[in-house]
Amino acid sequence: MSTAPMSPATWVRHNLFRNRRDAITTVIAAVVVGWVVFQTLRFVFGTARWEVVRANLTLFLVGRYPADEQWRIVAVLIAAAAVAGLVTGVLTKRRRRAAIADDAPLPPLPFARRLGLIGARYWPALVLLLVLLLLARTSTPWVVAGAVIVAAVVGRLVGGALPPKVGIVLYALPVVLPFVALPFLTGPLGWDDWGGMMLTILLATVSMIACFPLGLLLALGRRSTLPALRGLSIGVIEFFRGVPLVALVLMSDVGLGFFFPRDALPGRVVRVTIAFTIFTAAYVAEIVRGGLQSVPRGQTEAAQALGLPPVRMMALVVLPQALRNVIPALVGQFISLFKDTTLVFIIGFLDVLSVADNVIQQPDFRGQGLFAESLVFAAALFWVGAYTLSRESQRIERRLGVGSR
Amino acid sequence: MTTRGRRSRWGAAALTLTLALAACSDDDGGEGADPTSEDGTGGETEDSTGITLVQEGSALAAIQERGSVRCGTRDALPGFAVLTPDGDHVGFDADFCRVIAAAILGDAEAVEFVDLATEARFTALQSGEIDVLVRNTTWTAGRDGSEGATFLQPTFYDGQGMMVAADSPYQTVADMDGATVCVAAGTTTEGNVASEFSRLGITPTEVLSFPEPELIQDAFIAGRCDGWSSDVSQLTGLRSEFPDGPEALRILEDVFSKEPLAPAVADGDTELAQAVEWAIFATIQAEEFGIDSTNIAEFAESEDPLIRTFLGTAEEGGTFDPGLGLPPDYAVQVITQVGNYAEIFEEHLAPLGLDRGLNTLWSEGGLLYAPPYR
Repeated sequence: MSTAPMSPATWVRHNLFRNRRDAITTVIAAVVVGWVVFQTLRFVFGTARWEVVRANLTLFLVGRYPADEQWRIVAVLIAAAAVAGLVTGVLTKRRRRAAIADDAPLPPLPFARRLGLIGARYWPALVLLLVLLLLARTSTPWVVAGAVIVAAVVGRLVGGALPPKVGIVLYALPVVLPFVALPFLTGPLGWDDWGGMMLTILLATVSMIACFPLGLLLALGRRSTLPALRGLSIGVIEFFRGVPLVALVLMSDVGLGFFFPRDALPGRVVRVTIAFTIFTAAYVAEIVRGGLQSVPRGQTEAAQALGLPPVRMMALVVLPQALRNVIPALVGQFISLFKDTTLVFIIGFLDVLSVADNVIQQPDFRGQGLFAESLVFAAALFWVGAYTLSRESQRIERRLGVGSR
Repeated sequence: MTTRGRRSRWGAAALTLTLALAACSDDDGGEGADPTSEDGTGGETEDSTGITLVQEGSALAAIQERGSVRCGTRDALPGFAVLTPDGDHVGFDADFCRVIAAAILGDAEAVEFVDLATEARFTALQSGEIDVLVRNTTWTAGRDGSEGATFLQPTFYDGQGMMVAADSPYQTVADMDGATVCVAAGTTTEGNVASEFSRLGITPTEVLSFPEPELIQDAFIAGRCDGWSSDVSQLTGLRSEFPDGPEALRILEDVFSKEPLAPAVADGDTELAQAVEWAIFATIQAEEFGIDSTNIAEFAESEDPLIRTFLGTAEEGGTFDPGLGLPPDYAVQVITQVGNYAEIFEEHLAPLGLDRGLNTLWSEGGLLYAPPYR
């Protein structure tokens, strides 16, 4: 900010009531916003009957995952929190050391300030967590939330205390964790009993992680000079971009049964995940191709002049610049994928939206017009996820200096 | 009407694709969708004459090998199937899935419920994604003929009716000349109202359609509708939860469409069709014999040869096996683990305020008639 700080009254006059037209706009906007906020608050805290959400909280979060196996979810949450804490601890320590080496040591932040930063960064998720805990009927979720937080804090402290050499080994942990956690969560049950938010997150994250390398390869393939490779890439990209996602979902679930014996196919969740992955990969490929085209030709020529072989040139010079440029579009695609997973309702998966749709027909709740409550809750779950994704991507952009250098 | 078409927007595009595929696969003959044709496990049964019938890759054999029945239902149809907070599927349709599992596998809980949107139900059946469709589906010629489905013994005979305010002057649908009728959108209800009115030589002022029953209720309370038309089973449920109490509404006597809600299996698989059909007959036959889940033990020593045959009680010449591919004691499993027809009806549909109506035994003037088990 270049402007000098001004008093609140000056700020209001300057920004909201500068002239008659501004004043009228401000008043109208204030009335509209005030009315919307009032109605929302009245709904959330007054007229809404949240009992339907409360009674079905388990369905919303984990679907039909059997109650006596839910400890598996708790174990994975705790492990994930500990690993996240550990990695953060190691990373922070490294950054501090780097800063000391640069003669610009970072002063340690007071504890309250640190809490404030975490709050500012993750407030939607934290508010949602609080809401979930308040809706819960037993004390178990409180204990679980407490254990997860303790695990994260312990991980962070341990990570900060470790010698830096061990730290490098630790980077493998978050990579290995999903490969351990997924079979552990699937356990004796298979994928097909997954539901609720857990299913949505599974479909979205697995597809997001898997579609990126695939999309990258498709993008490089499309720019290849080998005709067969280029033709194949173009074929895949254009076919999967041209087919509606809902058709792919339906096709992967019921359609494949027309071509292959039903029992020779992978499970339903796996098939649908593959459909989401390929669909998103086709879009990612085009986004990445756009990024590749935005890298000036001189960069390639400079790398060639340095004698870099093609693969290293791509990996060290072109791709880092290309990907940096397309972060907003990529994250937009991922957010879109996250929300598009709700399309699985058409094949009867019990995702968040299906739960929201089904629970209002339970004998205790039907005929009371409770869609608003259950849909608002489902929307809140999605909004928190999508908004957190968006904020984190902006953080990465700031770190990488997108738009400012 | 039984078709909840709220999601037609989503499904239309997808269906175009899959229906085209279904049409292609028809050329390959019925074996195309057989799940087990690869490993050569054909269903093999021996009928009473000793002739061995082998059907390559029967769905029945696949169910037995897999140890579970994939049953297509819809978890948002009060009384027929809903999902409880504990994740259980509860309702009339859900119980008939259990009946089928109990009959084929001897375990009523060996069911994989597949929640199906209206648009996906027949495609799921054709592709072999589900074994049986028990999803509040009306048996019509068009569906029987062109959806690749074989409809079996109806589990519930429904029909479209008309509900009016208790203090309204209408006594029959014929009185409703110039009335405004409200229906659910995306179903055949609307067309049935139009054809019934024209058959009676009267014209409604307007037929208003709404995407959700709750919205019809609001419109009804606001006085925008003179009549509210839907399947009688739906109307009864809606009446029972009307905000002003059920007394404020009256369901007219007229029933002007036939809606037999029947389970279906994929075309071309007689074995599974027979097994499912006789599983349903067992619930009806049990009611006729007066056997239910509480008193079945008393019938174990029954002298009645028909009952002994039905329950698969051991005889000198061995138990009677009609060659349906079902275990001899399948009826016992169905009755003890789920119940007879009356028990299933009383548990799930009676609480909605539904009368047995047409769904009583033939001996009591209803339509429930099981062929003799001998």
